[in-house]
Amino acid sequence: MADTKPADIAYGEISHLEELIDRDSLREVCRSFFDLFGLSIRVFSARGVLLASVHEERSICRYVNSLSRGRVACSETVAHAQMLVPGGSGTVMHPCFTGAIYHIVPIMYDGRQLGRIILGPFLPSDVNEVPPSLIAIDPKLEHDRARLALAEMPRVREQTAQRIGAHLRGVLDLILFSGHKAQLTSAMHLATVRENYRELGEKNTRLQEAFDKLKELDRLKSNFLATVSHELRTPLTSIIGYSEMLEAGIAGDLSPEQAGFVETIRSKGELLLQLISSLLDLNKLERGQLAISPEYIDPRAVIVEVRETCLPEAEKRRIRVELSWHDDVPIVQADPVRLRQILINLTSNAIKFTADQGQVRLAVRTTELLAANDDDDVDEDPSLGAALMMSPERAVEFSVHDTGIGIPADEIDKIFDAFYQVDGSSTREYGGAGLGLSIAKSLVDAHHGTIRVESELGRGTTFFVVLPQTQPDAA
Amino acid sequence: MQLDFQARELTVKLVYYGPALSGKTTNLQAIHRLLSPDGRGRLMTLETRDDRTLFFDLLPLTINTEMGLTVRIKLFTVPGQVIHNSTRKLVLQGADGVAFIADSQVNEVRANQASFKDLRRNLRENGIDPTTMPVVIQYNKRDLPNIRSEEEIKRMASMGRERTYLATATHGNGVMETFMGLLEAAWENLEQQHGLRQRFGLNAQMVTRDLRQRFSPVMEMPDHG
Repeated sequence: MADTKPADIAYGEISHLEELIDRDSLREVCRSFFDLFGLSIRVFSARGVLLASVHEERSICRYVNSLSRGRVACSETVAHAQMLVPGGSGTVMHPCFTGAIYHIVPIMYDGRQLGRIILGPFLPSDVNEVPPSLIAIDPKLEHDRARLALAEMPRVREQTAQRIGAHLRGVLDLILFSGHKAQLTSAMHLATVRENYRELGEKNTRLQEAFDKLKELDRLKSNFLATVSHELRTPLTSIIGYSEMLEAGIAGDLSPEQAGFVETIRSKGELLLQLISSLLDLNKLERGQLAISPEYIDPRAVIVEVRETCLPEAEKRRIRVELSWHDDVPIVQADPVRLRQILINLTSNAIKFTADQGQVRLAVRTTELLAANDDDDVDEDPSLGAALMMSPERAVEFSVHDTGIGIPADEIDKIFDAFYQVDGSSTREYGGAGLGLSIAKSLVDAHHGTIRVESELGRGTTFFVVLPQTQPDAA
Repeated sequence: MQLDFQARELTVKLVYYGPALSGKTTNLQAIHRLLSPDGRGRLMTLETRDDRTLFFDLLPLTINTEMGLTVRIKLFTVPGQVIHNSTRKLVLQGADGVAFIADSQVNEVRANQASFKDLRRNLRENGIDPTTMPVVIQYNKRDLPNIRSEEEIKRMASMGRERTYLATATHGNGVMETFMGLLEAAWENLEQQHGLRQRFGLNAQMVTRDLRQRFSPVMEMPDHG
């Protein structure tokens, strides 16, 4: 694998025999051949590396090696046999001076010679006498002893030897094919993983660039919004001021019709001013520029005040606004202006979406807020390992309940988005720009609190605002 | 193309491309069956349990030319499934020619087109101008109902630059024609780039003649279904 070059993957080439074959397994295969046929086997790679060797020293070899000239001749023969590379794809026979022979079988794969198998030495079945080449090797050679030793040498017919060689070659071919396949598979797997990783990296870079661009656009949008809102507010204040002066009769008495027109100009102007203020608030919140100034306040007083503010609108439609609290509600820490803004928004929303003669209830109670301690993973599902990652904190819960039209379940997640209205048409029916809840949520976030909603279609909706009472240092 | 002067070997890589289940592996299986065993390697398929190609199939062919140069042809298929794009791109690396195996069925028109676009994109991403890559097109599965008509295919093919073949790979029909067409197209291109005739005295006929001799005379194979 280490030697596998990209070109090998591209062409599916096999590399070297020694990298494909497990030597222990090869030795086992050779051993079983040896046990079966009694023939010594050596396997060499094309580079001449001995990969497996199972052999037994024959009596004749032992005897020849005990003679000084015989030893030299023997090692020459063996060395020559080991160096012999068969030219084509056929078997080569290499004779030994003892009359025995070696069969050298090339290991071919995909048209290439990757190595060779050396079978033998063995005696061809037609050798019965001590051959002259053996007698001539050393004058000290004893004829009878040589004949006895030679008789112990395995005898194999030429045809059988060819078959054994072919069979071993077939087995090796199968092993090579499996090894090649495994090698290609893993090389391909690795290359594919690398390629996927590279592609993902490129995509991430492109996404990051797009994200940076969007962030910049968002910043420009916020700046634009801030400037435009500010520029709109200045003349609008004049319009409202002059309308008020006209209404007050400073420029002379107005006919009832004129007074009615001026009243409309003023009230619509104020509505517009509110909307612009909301936009500015949202913009500041988004940019984290809206400062929260916490004070110690009585939550009961806050909801009483909120009720008073919203009551005129409710009374117009004979909607009851009720209050409820427990006596143990403590003094809480919050920005009074912003808390009022949140609750007024929720309450006026509740009134807006409740049918005439319905009911709206504001409540406050102490509760516990389970806060995740892991600030790094704000996107993580808080239910994951909650037993480890959360800790209870004292908190106060405000709730605003109405008996209004309710919110469909699939819309609940979106209602805190800026400019979102559950039904496009409801904007016209119920008025508003769809900014209130988004601002309320941002304000609650700025208090490190939570806002959630429970709703049943046609039955009513309850908003819960929970503010922790041990404020993190940002507050 | 890979040239090993020392071993006097020339390796040509041909890739079978196309949409999922269009019959790329079946083409290689048919070539394997139709060629006589000498000089034909084992067909290596790297497939999943459901018989879909996971990485590629590889069929190596060896041709000993009269000039003493060994020509090795490596036939690859790519995995057709969309998710294996990186593998397709990798297999395409170093290709000398591409056989695009299209499915003749009328409702596969879009899949064919998407796969061909994918081929062009992957070639470009590998730094290859698709107009320079020798490509042949095979309309496979001619034995199925609801296929594009021969006349229609001929009309379309006359507008294009690629040689186009009709085939029923499961029966072995048109498979060798496609392969030979691809080899010739690839060879023409290699000849232009590397001057094989001048350098090695080698021409396409020497290679194709040898291959033609090794094809089983019975081109029509029994239906194994």
